[in-house]
Amino acid sequence: MTTAETEQSSKLREQIRQVLNAQAQPTITVLSSLIAVQDSIHYLPDEAIKETATFCGSTINEVWSVASFYTNFRFTEPGDKTLDVCWGPSCHLVGAQQVLDSVHAALEIKEEGESPDGKVTLKYNTCLGACAQGPVIAINHHLIGKQTPESAAKIARELRGQSS
Amino acid sequence: MADGTTFKIDGRDVVAKPGQTILQAAMDQDIYIPYLCYYPKMKPQGSCRACMVEVEANGRKMMVASCTTPPMPEAEVTTNSEEVEGLRRNVVELLMSEHPHGCLTCHRIELCGPQDICQRHVTVTDRCTICPKNERCELKDTVRAVELDLRTPLNYHRRDLPIHSDDPFYDRDYNLCIVCSRCVRVCDEVRFDTALTLTSRSGVALVGTSHGTSLLESGCEFCGACVDVCPTGSLTERNYKWEKAVSEVATVCTNCPVGCQMIAEVNKFGKVVRFKADLAGAANNGQACMTGKFGYEYTNDSSRLKRPYVREGGILRKATWDEALEKIKSGLGGRSSEELAVITSPRGSNEDQYVAAKFAKSVLKTANIDSALNADNALLSRLEARLGAGAATNPIWDLENSKSLLVVAGNPTEEQNVLAVPAKKAVREGAKLVVIDSRETELTRYATEWLRPKPGSEALLIAGISRVILDEALEDKEFVGSRLDQAEELKQSLWTFDLAKVSRDTGIEDAQIRRAARIFAESDAGAILLGDDGLTDKAAELVVDASIDLAAITGNLGKASGGIFPLYRGANTLGARDMGATPGENGRDIAEMMSGMTSGDVKAALVMADGVSGYSPTLSSLPAALENLDFLVVSAALDSEITHHANVVLPAATYAEQNSSLTNVERRVQLLRITAEPKHEEKTGWETVAAIANAMGGTGFDYATASDVFTEIAQEVSNYSGLNYERLQSGGIQWPVDSSILFSDEASKVTVVALNYDELANSAESGSLTFAPGRVLSQPERDVVVRKPADMNYVDREQFVQVHPDDAKSAGLNEGDVIQVKTDDGHILARGKAVFDSPQVGLVGATTLFGELATKMHELDVADWTPQMPGLGYSTVTLESAPVEQEAGAAAD
Repeated sequence: MTTAETEQSSKLREQIRQVLNAQAQPTITVLSSLIAVQDSIHYLPDEAIKETATFCGSTINEVWSVASFYTNFRFTEPGDKTLDVCWGPSCHLVGAQQVLDSVHAALEIKEEGESPDGKVTLKYNTCLGACAQGPVIAINHHLIGKQTPESAAKIARELRGQSS
Repeated sequence: MADGTTFKIDGRDVVAKPGQTILQAAMDQDIYIPYLCYYPKMKPQGSCRACMVEVEANGRKMMVASCTTPPMPEAEVTTNSEEVEGLRRNVVELLMSEHPHGCLTCHRIELCGPQDICQRHVTVTDRCTICPKNERCELKDTVRAVELDLRTPLNYHRRDLPIHSDDPFYDRDYNLCIVCSRCVRVCDEVRFDTALTLTSRSGVALVGTSHGTSLLESGCEFCGACVDVCPTGSLTERNYKWEKAVSEVATVCTNCPVGCQMIAEVNKFGKVVRFKADLAGAANNGQACMTGKFGYEYTNDSSRLKRPYVREGGILRKATWDEALEKIKSGLGGRSSEELAVITSPRGSNEDQYVAAKFAKSVLKTANIDSALNADNALLSRLEARLGAGAATNPIWDLENSKSLLVVAGNPTEEQNVLAVPAKKAVREGAKLVVIDSRETELTRYATEWLRPKPGSEALLIAGISRVILDEALEDKEFVGSRLDQAEELKQSLWTFDLAKVSRDTGIEDAQIRRAARIFAESDAGAILLGDDGLTDKAAELVVDASIDLAAITGNLGKASGGIFPLYRGANTLGARDMGATPGENGRDIAEMMSGMTSGDVKAALVMADGVSGYSPTLSSLPAALENLDFLVVSAALDSEITHHANVVLPAATYAEQNSSLTNVERRVQLLRITAEPKHEEKTGWETVAAIANAMGGTGFDYATASDVFTEIAQEVSNYSGLNYERLQSGGIQWPVDSSILFSDEASKVTVVALNYDELANSAESGSLTFAPGRVLSQPERDVVVRKPADMNYVDREQFVQVHPDDAKSAGLNEGDVIQVKTDDGHILARGKAVFDSPQVGLVGATTLFGELATKMHELDVADWTPQMPGLGYSTVTLESAPVEQEAGAAAD
């Protein structure tokens, strides 16, 4: 390993160890530990699996089987900002699909995931809970309603730091 | 019910043993119920549902999975009604959507060849004929047994995953996996490694590792248990991958003293193409290890020696046996007995050892005879002197029920791997483990208490534990009162072991000694696993004395799941001792032979070199020593650094080419069985020695078969009396006949000996730096990067060298410096960043991963690699700062 890799990794491990040790609830499990790490650094890097295994007295493979079971855990670094697009039935009826298409184009991706510049993570959401405002999108969990394909694409481009 | 449950399967009366499920009871009766996720000796899982049966009990009918359901008394189980069969077919049909099955359900399955044009349009990559397990596929057998008939194949999507063939020894092709999870479970609940796991869930669940990493860092010990249980072609041994076997021979592994019973799969050319652990094996209970599972291949090597060679004009030339024997007769004959030496193979059978010993005594009249791995070692000799047997007092699988374990100066997970399997099982099930070892080994990671004393002070520490037990009155008073001889003397001597002094001289806190003592004394049954790694002969003897005393005062002798297990090397070291292949009076042992050769006192030798390597840790000076001989005869299967100095080389038969017997650590005499006759002029060890003896005019060497030799052994060796090949056929017998646990006779006495504090304390050397290398399966707390420069994975990680701050100070080193550990003769044993966490002054440690060793062994360019497995030997070293490495990565930083 190069020195730079090692340093970066040990910093990350230190951060993860702090998160693991700061869990306040009485029952600490592999799952609770993984949730704590993801809440803090937004994804589970390899270091998180290893540190959780050490912390819980388990093995990396046991931790991995828990982590990979739950689809809400992610293992790659997310973009700087999260953009949720609702594709629930209510939003769908008022044009969410068109919104989604334009966001895809703006982010240059074809499905959920990170834009190529790593600045935005797109997530499909089954309901953001504001059906009357549909189509709804959310930036870092802040909802914005009444979207059109154009307005959503503009927001997406702005998130990438591109002028609209 | 204690004596089992009576019920009916398909109208037949069946008695299930207590704890058995319907499937297990049926299997005992040879009633076939299909199953895929169940595997003998593993916990039932009940996930594949292929074993569905109908049970009628208490007037109700239900469909149950027979692998997880215990039978109810008087129940009537139906395995073959139309309804059951229909259900079962349905279940297997669903499984088929996960596995290529165009061929599995085709009526031409037995006729089809790889080149045939398929009328069902089965894609070439999905055909059974190209699968490595085609001839031995459990899934295929099951599909055929349930008579699955798919007119049109089901919709099936090949997963299109890359095949993992970049880890040592075996391949993983998850395109063929049916996710029965046998491999995951065997790794977890039988081997306790958890190197594999189920990943993800529902339709995309699959077997894998954390982040899909290589097995090198996932904790794999390459035992091959997962390969043995896989019902499909997902997991396969890499060598002879597609080879079809025509017969199976039950034999014994000859790599370590556990003596695992193995099944050798033999192809039509008589080659051993696979080795798998025998589920019926008493010593191994269906388990094997890396060396056993994958180290069998040297017998097939094309470079095997085929005929005798004699050296003429410095060159070895082909010769006949007669010429060779003539040469040997003149070379060995006419010498004084002190000039001669006989070195037997650590793999050599009892017959080999017996005939060699007889030859040394009656023909050469020399006392210089020993096994290459030292049959006369201090550990076994002292055990024999004290307990009457230089062997384990209890059977190996007794360990699984032990409640506490004490492991001293040994690394069973690598050196006696399968012996560690029941030990790890006991720990998983709640037994407490105390490890006394300066090195970090796999077992230290499971240990409740890891005592890391100053090297050489192990015996003192054990005596300290005994002292605490007496102090706190934790001894087994009944056993001490009725069964011990000289108990009073021992007690008196232990009062001189002041715990503060012990703590000072061993470097272990007294609180930890107390905790260890309580663990061992307060459990019902405690076993002691005793190694001699890094111990001088004297220290090994003292460790044996202290351990026997400890086992005796805690009442752990003659008790099931207690006892003492010596951790020695060499598959038949015990057999060599039993047969008298040990130095006689004033005779030289292997170390003295080597020094005698170097000094010129020993001038001629016979070496049985199968399994002997100059690269094995204790034999590094052997090749150089042999060079000094006037005359050397080597019987070897392969050319090696040993044969290079020989005047006569004789071709030896391997384990696969002989019927003979071996004796393992638990005193079990087991049979090696022949897989194929030697192809050329190879002779077994005893045939070779008998031929030499006859040529030299010896009498009493006219044996026709190994069985004849064994008959003589049974007459001459008292522990073997009453044994013969007939009786050994079914899994071997422990000597003395019918005593699996020594001292189990209530009337027998155990003699304990008084311990002398100064003697024990003196065996610890001080002043020099000792390097204690460690090796573990995984270390999640440290970063590992697996790189793949070419075809294979390699572990790449930063090394740490553990040093004590005081030692670093005197060497002028700072924490974080890159340092190297150097022996007196300039070998660099470790290189890495200095960390100041060595617990003892004078102790230097560095831990590597087993995966690194596995890669190294896999890539070793010799046919017989198992003798070259480096152990974790101690060395006296110096520390220095390492020169700056010219590395691209380092320069960039």
